[in-house]
Amino acid sequence: MTKQLDLLDIQGNILRAYGRFGYPVARYVFLNVRNTAKGREFVGEITKKVTTSVEWGDGPGKIKQPDRTVNIAFTYQGLKDLGVPISSLVGFSPEFASGMKGRKDILGDDGPSSPEHWDPIWRGNRETREKDVHIFISLNALAGQGLDWLTVAEKNRDDAYAWLLDEINKTEGGVVLLDGHLGDDDANLNYQDVRVVLDNNGVPTPKEHFGYTDGISDPVFEGVPYDERRVKGRGKQMPGGTWAPLATGEFLLGHVDEAKEYPPAPEPILLSRNGTYMIYRKLHENVATFDRYLEEQGSKFPGGKALLAAKFVGRWPDTGVPLVKAPDAASNAKFGAQLLSLNAALNAAQKKGDKESVKSNEQAIDDILSDFTYDDDMSGAKCPFSSHIRRINPRASLEMMNEEGDKPGSFKVSKDAFDTPGALANRRRLLRRGLPYGEVKDRTRDDGNHGIVIMMVNADINRQFEFVQQQWVNYGNDFKAGNDKEIILGNHSMDDNFPSKAVIEADPDSDQPPYILSKIPRLVVTRGGDYFFIPSMTALRMIAQGVIDPT
Amino acid sequence: MSNIAGKAYAMNVITPIRPYTTWVNKFIFWIAVKIPGTLKGLITLSLIHYARWVIIGKDQFPHLDPKQPKEELNYTYMMFFSNFNGSWDQYVDSFTFAIPGGLDLFWKWNIRYSKSVPLTPFHDYIRYNQIETIHYYNAYPLAASNDVKSAKTVKSSLIKFEQDTRNVSGDNFLKLYNALLRGLQHDMGDMYPTPIVSMSAHQVERRQKWHAANLPEGGAGPTGGTAPKEAHGHSAKKGK
Repeated sequence: MTKQLDLLDIQGNILRAYGRFGYPVARYVFLNVRNTAKGREFVGEITKKVTTSVEWGDGPGKIKQPDRTVNIAFTYQGLKDLGVPISSLVGFSPEFASGMKGRKDILGDDGPSSPEHWDPIWRGNRETREKDVHIFISLNALAGQGLDWLTVAEKNRDDAYAWLLDEINKTEGGVVLLDGHLGDDDANLNYQDVRVVLDNNGVPTPKEHFGYTDGISDPVFEGVPYDERRVKGRGKQMPGGTWAPLATGEFLLGHVDEAKEYPPAPEPILLSRNGTYMIYRKLHENVATFDRYLEEQGSKFPGGKALLAAKFVGRWPDTGVPLVKAPDAASNAKFGAQLLSLNAALNAAQKKGDKESVKSNEQAIDDILSDFTYDDDMSGAKCPFSSHIRRINPRASLEMMNEEGDKPGSFKVSKDAFDTPGALANRRRLLRRGLPYGEVKDRTRDDGNHGIVIMMVNADINRQFEFVQQQWVNYGNDFKAGNDKEIILGNHSMDDNFPSKAVIEADPDSDQPPYILSKIPRLVVTRGGDYFFIPSMTALRMIAQGVIDPT
Repeated sequence: MSNIAGKAYAMNVITPIRPYTTWVNKFIFWIAVKIPGTLKGLITLSLIHYARWVIIGKDQFPHLDPKQPKEELNYTYMMFFSNFNGSWDQYVDSFTFAIPGGLDLFWKWNIRYSKSVPLTPFHDYIRYNQIETIHYYNAYPLAASNDVKSAKTVKSSLIKFEQDTRNVSGDNFLKLYNALLRGLQHDMGDMYPTPIVSMSAHQVERRQKWHAANLPEGGAGPTGGTAPKEAHGHSAKKGK
């Protein structure tokens, strides 16, 4: 990697998924600006504490890892009410201006996912001036090292929140905290809390509430020093199955993107460079429906329930190992054992402070979980075309063909058809941030307080997030699957006359039939969200000082 | 006016070429047709129904009536015509990401062609030279080209299956039936209305439907007007 990013100018939540760096707990807070001058003053005060992307550690150019992180972002109305001039505002993208609610028909937020069912804060947003969400602030808390890891993290979070409330109070009503986040038993909260899911012994896990390992394939792009070794399976697939980091401009404004140009961005350049767009989405998980459906279909599916659960997502729930590498239970068990010993070695190395050993073990784990292509599974016999990971990030698998004389029901790589193997995927990538929220207290009920808050980061909401959501999650033409949707996230039909289904492909060389997953219920429901702009530190200071002027 | 009908989008682009370089373009087209590999990328992009490039000489434009004024054209023109599924952005972007070299080859000799990468000048070039579709009929508004291809495969496979299984035993029937399903596993996608192409297209369509349902036809009473049959087949609209 040759590109050097200005890490001190880029907010830390863009380059880091904090959960992976030891922050298992976070609180998200949303604010309404009532007085522009006081609002700007408030932004100035927060900016002093904002966490940047600078490297953590002891070496030169590094700082000590903070106990808590602070990051801030704005909606379109927020920027407007903070006095960003109209000549700059018109440079933001139309979908950012219209907001998530205005884009519901594109996003497929219908039926139980439609805005009238969202949490009150999101229902009220963009209806009246006083209820508009203007500012987003995220506080992530570092865990302790010992058995009291969670208590320490919660204290770090509470300290950060107390500080924030104090700053809000200082504005004397110039900035107002918005309520309307639903918590346990529909409690109306002033914030959205998120936390890693704990196992039965209270040990943190990388899982979400359905039981899948989450957040493995986060894109790697040029210029992020702590991601250099993570490029395999996360960058862009190159000829010969090698990997290269994606262009920075896919995720940060003011940098060249995969089309070799600067992504559309507002002026002046100081407002947009090193900033980006964030999609905040609260997704409720219907765990009872999921369990029931998996049970019902798993009893019929020839490979059994565990394999079917893996087929939904493309990874084994217990290990996170991709189906492409471990197409059956035996191979999953083999990789699972390898992962166990690698993780044990990694823990030991971390305790000893043996950096080389940490690196090599991390690398070995990463190779198992992330380093794969679909080149040997072009027909979907291992990882179904409608599974989560194949739909969200198809890698090079859309460069596919079936020629006269090929086996029916099979695809192969359409070699050299495209300029680069990942041509249709490289500009649809999303950085994924966020953590699960709530706890599943009763797995036989859908209506508890449990789900995931996902924050996706990209340079172009329409080209990246909305495209993936509309064309790949809620539609299937690019995957030769007609209107079939992605199994987990798809907005499956609520109409019994037109039930959703998906095909779990069979190996074209076998004598097996494909399995038809019929009457897929709605497993995930949208509970709210909006589009935000995460400015650079420079832009934050300019917003606070009220000196943005594109002329 | 709409470039969209059902799941399909019609794109017409007409761009000028200097008459003395026209032969280069013709030669390139000839090569492309002779060596099928050159169009592999285009064929792999399954959202495309077809794409056609035609050279129109400056004297070849239709002159239908002596009363029609004669045009003085300085250039030869290249007409590009394509139907595809999805949005304009999706199509043009897929083209640029997947086959930038091919595009440059075909358009290279066109006046003020920007090259296909970077993207924005290419977008501007196509937009500027695009001719909006005034009338667009789609016989199968619910079908993408993949759906049509799949439907044909399903039909022929079923006919063959019926013939092959007339006199087979139960076990053999099951074997052949499994093989039939396996062979069709990528041809069984549902066919429902398209995801909306854009918010503006969506709003236009909603207004048209509102007019169709609310405005009486041919002087019928306020409730007597019959709504014209929906052109876009939304009777199967889901999730409402």
